Amino acid sequence: MILRLVLWSALYALPIFVRSDFLLTILIFTFIYGMLGVTLDLIFGFTGQLSMFHPAVFGVSAYMTYLLASKAGLPFWLATIPSALTAVVLAMIVGSICFKFRLKTFYFAVVTLAFAEVIRLVVLNWNSVTNGTLGLVVTGRPTVWLPGMGVVAIKGPVAWYYLTLVSLTLTVIVCARCLSSWMGRCFGAIRLNEDLARTLGIDVFRYKLASFAVGNALASFAGGLYGYYTAYIDPGYLSINQSMDVLAMVLLGGQGTLIGPIVGSLVLTSLPHVIDLRAEARAILYGAILIFTILVMPRGIVGTFNAWRARRAA
Amino acid sequence: MTQLVLGQVLNGAIIGAMYGIIALGITLTFGITGIVNFALGEFMMIGAYATYALAERFGWPYPVAVVPACLIAAAAGYLANKAFFRFTRNNLVNGLLVSIGLISILESAALLFWTATPLEMHFVLPGALRLGEVGLPKMKLVVFAVILAVIVLTYLGLARTWLGRAAFAYAQNPEAAMLMGVHTPRLETAVMLYSTGLAGLGGALYASLYSLEPAMGGVYVLKGMEAAILGGIGSLMGSLWGGVILGVIEGVGSIFLPTAFRDAYGLAILVAILLFRPAGLFGTE
Repeated sequence: MILRLVLWSALYALPIFVRSDFLLTILIFTFIYGMLGVTLDLIFGFTGQLSMFHPAVFGVSAYMTYLLASKAGLPFWLATIPSALTAVVLAMIVGSICFKFRLKTFYFAVVTLAFAEVIRLVVLNWNSVTNGTLGLVVTGRPTVWLPGMGVVAIKGPVAWYYLTLVSLTLTVIVCARCLSSWMGRCFGAIRLNEDLARTLGIDVFRYKLASFAVGNALASFAGGLYGYYTAYIDPGYLSINQSMDVLAMVLLGGQGTLIGPIVGSLVLTSLPHVIDLRAEARAILYGAILIFTILVMPRGIVGTFNAWRARRAA
Repeated sequence: MTQLVLGQVLNGAIIGAMYGIIALGITLTFGITGIVNFALGEFMMIGAYATYALAERFGWPYPVAVVPACLIAAAAGYLANKAFFRFTRNNLVNGLLVSIGLISILESAALLFWTATPLEMHFVLPGALRLGEVGLPKMKLVVFAVILAVIVLTYLGLARTWLGRAAFAYAQNPEAAMLMGVHTPRLETAVMLYSTGLAGLGGALYASLYSLEPAMGGVYVLKGMEAAILGGIGSLMGSLWGGVILGVIEGVGSIFLPTAFRDAYGLAILVAILLFRPAGLFGTE
């Protein structure tokens, strides 16, 4: 607990000491992918449903947030709300179909993947709205109200650093609250033994759907932020690779922990910057890391570290 | 119009039969050894590129090039099994994740090696059979016949031979099968060799009809999986029919509806069928 508090405060204090744009940029990407990782972990690591639907929600929200802001003139924060609602509706539809038929483990993964592909096709071919493969250039910035400074636009690495860090913190807090509640216990029961959970009177369908909806709704914010931060959106946001990257982060960091996906995200986002690699070589490295983690270190970095600490304390 | 629809039905049936081959491989590997090999599409890609290399670069005749291409795919499957897949037995999620890692590695390796430019082979068997108003390309008929023969032979082999019965026994209870004199590690290897070799054959046949891209495997394995669910997991003939139905729906659907969404039509049918028959068309509860 203390270790965790120290780590979080260190993150908040970091820009005071470090002014390197390079480092801050890596950390901003880490935080955005960390949000995706944590929300995927809520569905996969805590509830045991391997969802491949994350890139669809991520991409759709990125498009929707920007389009609502530019076409309808909504401010950034107001535009994220319909995006999150869309994410919930999509998750409800796909989740109901999958969970109604009790598609489990990899059948669930494959069907969610197929749905994500269909959504990618829609985004790719809806030229009049999404501009197809060319993508959209995002203009405008999110604004925040700060006491004493009024409404300011988010500009420059330090501002983005705090915006993404606060978003990540809120995501983690919401997930942690969910998990420590009755709902979270139900998620755990479903992961460990679905049939037993059902006989104990847990509405498995409802709680699976709840986990899926909450995870996807939170992930949609990451999409909105990412689009504005990179100032460019294209259908590649919805690609299968995106799903794989996030999954690799969760597994490498440690599934079933809230800090794990963030650690995994830090390692995998900083890796290509530390060692310079071509895109193909990077994909090979990702694949190798994924396989290595599953076969050799199935609990991930954080899980292994926790086990090591528990052994030392005993 | 008849020409167009019939052409698309045949096209769909052939592409569907390719889905069927992948679905058969997935069903066999999963049903018998409890291993999920979601990377089967990549072995198909290996088979396709090996055929291309042997036939176009070394100038071998196509039918001669197909056999070593299957063997290369099977050898790659053997290595993947020894190095990764045998550790994921009876763990579906780990099998899927290892497969995803392997897909990433093999696809990127193919990109480095062959680049993203689509490759096309020369016509193997030009010409078409004419049936009244409708023309059917000969090569497509040959490919369809070969796939059909392979699936029927697999079915017979599993139903009629000692090895097939041993495989069923192993699927039901590995320990009991071992006590009855089945060499189980060897059987597991054999299933893996067969399914990846089969995927390689699918790739070799694919190479004779369509252009090759490193990303082809990913598409086919997704469709193969849909076909396997559609037909009912565990049913061998079901996987073939599931694939053919999926392929024909996509082909015919893209005549009447926008082509860009062809991948969605099969999925819509899959969901509709799951609504009425959760165990798939040929599966049993």
